[in-house]
Amino acid sequence: MPDAPEDQLKRSITGRLLFFYVLGDVLGSGIYVLIGAVAGAVGGAFWIAFAVGVSIATITGLAYAELVTKYPRAAGAALYVNKAFRNKALTFLVTISFLSASFAASGSLASGFAKYFAEVWDLPPALLVTILFVLVLSIVNYIGITESVVVNMLMTFVEVAGLVIIMGIGLWYVVEGNAHFGTLTEFTTEGNEIFAVVAGVALAFFAMTGFENAANVAEETIAPKKTFPRALVGGMVAAGVIYVLVAMTAALTVDIPVLADSDAALLEVVREGIIPVPVGVMTILFACIAMIAITNTTLVSVVTQSRILYGMAREDVVPGVFAKIHPERRSPWVGLVFSFVVVAALLVVGDVIVRAGGEDVVSRLATVTVVFLLFIYALVIVSALKLRGQDESEETFRANTGLLLVGLVGNAVLLAYVVIDDPSSLYWVGGLLAIGVGLFVVEYLFGSRDRPAGRERGEPDPTDDLMKGA
Amino acid sequence: MHVVVATDGSRQSLAAAKKLKEFADPDRITDISVVAVLRPLAAVAFADDLDDKRKAVDEVSFKAAAESAVAAVAATYDGWGPKVHRKIRSGSPAKEIIRLADSVGAGLIVVANGSRGLSDTVLMGSTAQRVQHYAPCPVLVVRPTPRKPRRGGKG
Repeated sequence: MPDAPEDQLKRSITGRLLFFYVLGDVLGSGIYVLIGAVAGAVGGAFWIAFAVGVSIATITGLAYAELVTKYPRAAGAALYVNKAFRNKALTFLVTISFLSASFAASGSLASGFAKYFAEVWDLPPALLVTILFVLVLSIVNYIGITESVVVNMLMTFVEVAGLVIIMGIGLWYVVEGNAHFGTLTEFTTEGNEIFAVVAGVALAFFAMTGFENAANVAEETIAPKKTFPRALVGGMVAAGVIYVLVAMTAALTVDIPVLADSDAALLEVVREGIIPVPVGVMTILFACIAMIAITNTTLVSVVTQSRILYGMAREDVVPGVFAKIHPERRSPWVGLVFSFVVVAALLVVGDVIVRAGGEDVVSRLATVTVVFLLFIYALVIVSALKLRGQDESEETFRANTGLLLVGLVGNAVLLAYVVIDDPSSLYWVGGLLAIGVGLFVVEYLFGSRDRPAGRERGEPDPTDDLMKGA
Repeated sequence: MHVVVATDGSRQSLAAAKKLKEFADPDRITDISVVAVLRPLAAVAFADDLDDKRKAVDEVSFKAAAESAVAAVAATYDGWGPKVHRKIRSGSPAKEIIRLADSVGAGLIVVANGSRGLSDTVLMGSTAQRVQHYAPCPVLVVRPTPRKPRRGGKG
């Protein structure tokens, strides 16, 4: 291959890598963690909730694909909203919402990890496992193991393998003729079936989150205008098909109340002992696969958090210390430490609430993540529509306008439902936003003291020590 | 001789670039390739410490940061003699530096090694170490001169 022209970026992310990045990121969240909660909300027909959630998320993915082909930058949603509205306050709100969503997602995923961990070794208390999990991921991120595309692909294969096992069990069960397909259309709720599905979709939506992180690698994707829409939407559709099949399998093989009450719901499918493999072996194998899947997605969310903090520090909206890069490892270590502290705090607060008889941390934090993301997704779709006719070239991917409108309505309806159904999630939302606003206030009040009088905010310090930050 | 000068955007990499100029004979060097490598899946794909200016959200681009770091390092050799090329790659830094050295038939690679201590020996090893291990040519590793004791903080 000839050398790229001088000063041009020689890109490294191929369509295939991006596809697996999206697939791995999406699959790890949700289905391993939340399937029991969704089943409880809807009943045997809960696969419909996954199908609807996947569809709305994929439409949102189309809006992302359109915007990424116009503005291939890592900043993602914040950049698009800024381009569309040119409103600093709104851009800041979107940025800290995304950061907060990422914090809440990490907390939810860590709690889900602890539940599968307990299936293998149930001695350590769950809170300790969750906090150590997040700590280890932060350290791994600091060292830079996350950067290996090979490791990333391997983890995605393992994740898919886990769900293939589940689908295989389902197929075996159907072939043996034990399946009662009537379950797939049953609703547990007495009330309106549409409301039951909406409730399920709101939770199932968490399972689709993660695709927006694909913007992270937009700049380095080879031929982004062609590759990006295909890989992003392809990854999401693949994840969606897997989700629906897995949800159907779970509904067919396990009684819905058992799924709903289970800490690690997909393990119940394995426990039914449908295939002739010792259940003990399968349980441990599957628990390990689930932990790897959750780890993969949590890693990406930890990366995203420190990336957002770094970007905001470069913009001078949060204290400059978050832009501090370790001189050798080139990792934003202050951001990593801070993110760890915030997620650990969420887990501790969640634990206290559970002990006081409150709701489960996993679904609580998942709901909070979904609230933030639905808000961001809706704004991204509006931005895509508002930016029509601007910065377009022949190669810009153009999403179907009708679909985007459907997606916008879908996001808005879900957001309204979640907030009305569960107003207490707003306390968490408010608390997380307060962290972002707090950082801004600290920067606003004290940020100027970092630099001598007369220098502009963000101007470089000529006396800066060579080894500053070492 | 073709010399590859790598920059990760650190001040130490600028110091390394200057070190080459201090002792090398510009008549013996025909070309210098200044290269920066973006890490797509890292928390920060490329950080440019050589340019601390405030960025608007539209301008936050890792590619732009890499371009600016390469330009800052390349500026060191303005008027020195050898032809200066600017290269930006994406992937694993050590691997991409070595690939570039191979493809241009480099006679020397210049890299910086920013820190001492536990993290780069016990853990994964630094880019500089990996370049030394697998380079097709001699490698100049420019280490920081000792300064005041390290301040507190992780790693």
